[in-house]
Order: sequence, then C-alpha cells, then structure tokens
Amino acid sequence: MTTHAFEIARHDLMVERRAKETLTVVVPFGLAALIALPMAIGVDLPLISRIGPAAYWSTALLFGMQIAWRQSVADTGPNRDLITLLGVSPVSRFWGRTAASAVLLIAFMLLLGVAAILLFSPELPLTPWLLLIILTFGLGLAMISTLAADITSGLSGRAPLASVLVVPLALPLLVGAAQAVESLTRGSGILAWLLMLVAVEIVLAVAGTLAARPLEEAVR
Amino acid sequence: MTKVRVLMALAAIAAGLGLYLAISAPPEAVQRTYARILHIHAPSAWLAFLAFFVTAFGSIMWRIRRKEFWDRLAASSAEIGVLFTAIALATGMIWGKPVWGVFFDWGDARMATTAIMLLVYLGYLALRRATPDPQLRAARASVLGIVAVVQVPLVYFSVNLVRTLHQTQTIRPEGSPIHPAMLRALLVNLAAFTLIYLALLAGRMVVGRLEEKAETEVAPVAGAAVLPPRLDGAIDV
Repeated sequence: MTTHAFEIARHDLMVERRAKETLTVVVPFGLAALIALPMAIGVDLPLISRIGPAAYWSTALLFGMQIAWRQSVADTGPNRDLITLLGVSPVSRFWGRTAASAVLLIAFMLLLGVAAILLFSPELPLTPWLLLIILTFGLGLAMISTLAADITSGLSGRAPLASVLVVPLALPLLVGAAQAVESLTRGSGILAWLLMLVAVEIVLAVAGTLAARPLEEAVR
Repeated sequence: MTKVRVLMALAAIAAGLGLYLAISAPPEAVQRTYARILHIHAPSAWLAFLAFFVTAFGSIMWRIRRKEFWDRLAASSAEIGVLFTAIALATGMIWGKPVWGVFFDWGDARMATTAIMLLVYLGYLALRRATPDPQLRAARASVLGIVAVVQVPLVYFSVNLVRTLHQTQTIRPEGSPIHPAMLRALLVNLAAFTLIYLALLAGRMVVGRLEEKAETEVAPVAGAAVLPPRLDGAIDV
C-alpha cells in the first residue's frame, strides 16, 4: 500500500514538473493577492506589519487549496478505472494524492512566507517552530483539499464547490496555525496550538482513510 | 399528507403554548426580558444538533441499505438543520447585542464553531445541488453527511473545552439552576420545536419523493400527441 501511495505521489509530482500549473498559476496569483492587500490599506506601515501574518495565512488557505484540484492531475473516468484495475486501493490513492499536494503546498507556503516577510516586515522570531507550523498546516490542508477534490470529482463548477467545502473545514487549522505564530511572537508556549493542529489532522487522516473507498464508488 | 397535517397542527398548538409560557415566565434576574429570546434560541440549537445526527444516521443507513428513502431523510434533515442553525445564530446575535455589547464575538468558541457548522452543512446542500445523478448524489452526500457530524459534539462541548463568553449547559443531570417556571417554558418550547422539526421533516420528505418522481418520469416530447394516420378501411387506389 505504501509503495502504491509513493508511486502515485511521484507520478503527480512528475506531471506537475511538466505542467508547472502550481508554479505558473497558483504561485503568481497568491503573490498578487499578498501584494494587493497593502495596496488597499495604504501607507500605514505599522498596520501593514501587524496584519502581515493574517494576510499570509488567509492567502495560504485560499490559494493553497487550489493546488489539490489543479487541472493537470484531475482524474478522468478511464484513468480512475485503470488505477483500480491495477489493484491500487483507494486508500493508497488518497494518501498518494495527499502527499503530492502536501509537498507542493508546503513549497508554495515557504515561497509565500519569504514574500510576506519582505512585503510586510512582521515582528516574527524566525525559529524552527515556524517551519513545523507550516508543515503541519500544509499537511492538514492537503488532506482536506484531496478529500474535497474527490467528493467533487467530475462535477461542473467543481472549483467553487470544493472551496465551499474546504474553507469551513480548514478553519480549525487556520486558527491553530495563526494562534501558534501569534504565541511565538508573544513568547508564550505554542504547545497547546500545535496539539490542536495535530488533533485536527488525526481526525482528517481517519476521515480520509475511511472515506476513500466509498468515494471511489461515488465518483463512477 | 394527513400525517403531515396532524403534525403541523400539533406543532402549532405546542408552539402557541410555548410562546405563552415564555412570555408569562418571570424575567431573568440580570438580563430581564432579553432572556426570553433564549426560549427560541436554545431549542433551535438543540434541534439543529438532532437534525444533523439524523442526517448522519440517514447517510449511514443509505450506505448499508441503498434505499432512496434514507438519502431523502438525510437531505431533508440537513435542510431543516441549516434552518434551525441559522435561527439559533440569528437569535443569539439579537440577544448578544444588548447583553454582550456585540452581535458576534469572534472570541466565543460556541458562536465560532456554530458558524463553521452552518457553513459545512451549506456546503453539503451545495454538493447535493451540484450532483444531478440521484445515485451519485446520494453516494457523495452520504460521505460528507457522516464526516460532517463530527462537528456536532465539538460545538456542544466547546463551552466546556474553551471557557469564553458563552455560558455552559443550563440543564444538567444534577439539577438545573433556573427558576421552575423558566425551566417549564424551556422544556415546552423544546417539545414544540421538536414537533415543528418532525412536521417539517415529514413535509419535506413528501416533497422530496415528488421531486424524485418528477426527475425520473419521462417528459412528453413536442408532437407526441400527433398520431399517425389510421389506414383501416382505406381504399387502395
């Protein structure tokens, strides 16, 4: 099962390397959103610096989830049938897809983070904890987005519908990550927020694993 | 339809009695008459929880039995649950402004989690609308219906997990601290709202069955009424 998941993740990343959809569509659009916010606020530099982390997390959520349902890895009926006939279990498919999306999402968030630091100059201690928060958030968002991508597979108006499903479910992740960074800035403990992120991810992992097989049948 | 009408009539009587008891109950010691809105707010919230549990139950049963009835039950209950959640949020906001000073407090765990729950079930209804095939619709919605119910205990216990503005449970196994007249009004309103829920659910199930019938019936095409000429007895020239 692990080999199948690994192969699916490798395949998705290979397709992305050729299609460059994340790099040419999602990343520029995310950066544009990050630039648009200070423009809308004006020249209030302390305010821009203060809202920097909030702008970063909102952009990461709203644009990051697009990565999971990028057109280049959208499953067609025959493609799904082929994977099933090859004996790949839906659970392996879910985890492979999630792993590939998580890698791309985390890379996207790191890039966005550098841009946010340059644009907003937030008062933020650059510690390894930040990386851990980004990794946890990225993995959680990848799981929710993959689940939503499977639920809405093949539907017309898929992207807005998937967004409607992902945003509310991802709010606990957003709150956890944003509050963990806030606690880092204040110098207070972040363990409680990290535990909350991990708890949400365990629920998502269980839900994704259990829902994989029924969803496989639902999209035929 | 008779069952629906009977339920509607019972619900109307119980709601009238509940309204009378809510108005005639003594005012709350601190909040005075503002607290009366809680006779609508609390039962709406409880019924929203019940509705979403019924949605999850219907979804599980559909996965086991594959009968349209269970999918219809899940969908109908989700619609009513969304309505009750919206009522609970709206009445909470109306009450919150004079008592807390704000319509919506982002720091309050119960309010924030309820708003998230409303959005998730709106997504559930949007997913149903977007899937035209009844079998695929039931299959996809059943997965979301089961996964989404995880939020209900989170919303319920959020006041115990994170102590913020919202009060904890008023009715507890060890006894209730509120005045007996207020408790009586609250319980009658809870019964009335349960009857309203059952009446709406039964009515929506009937409408759902008619919708499915209309979806599966073959509509007559233009020109279907034009018959071919009858040739019996025609003279062959």
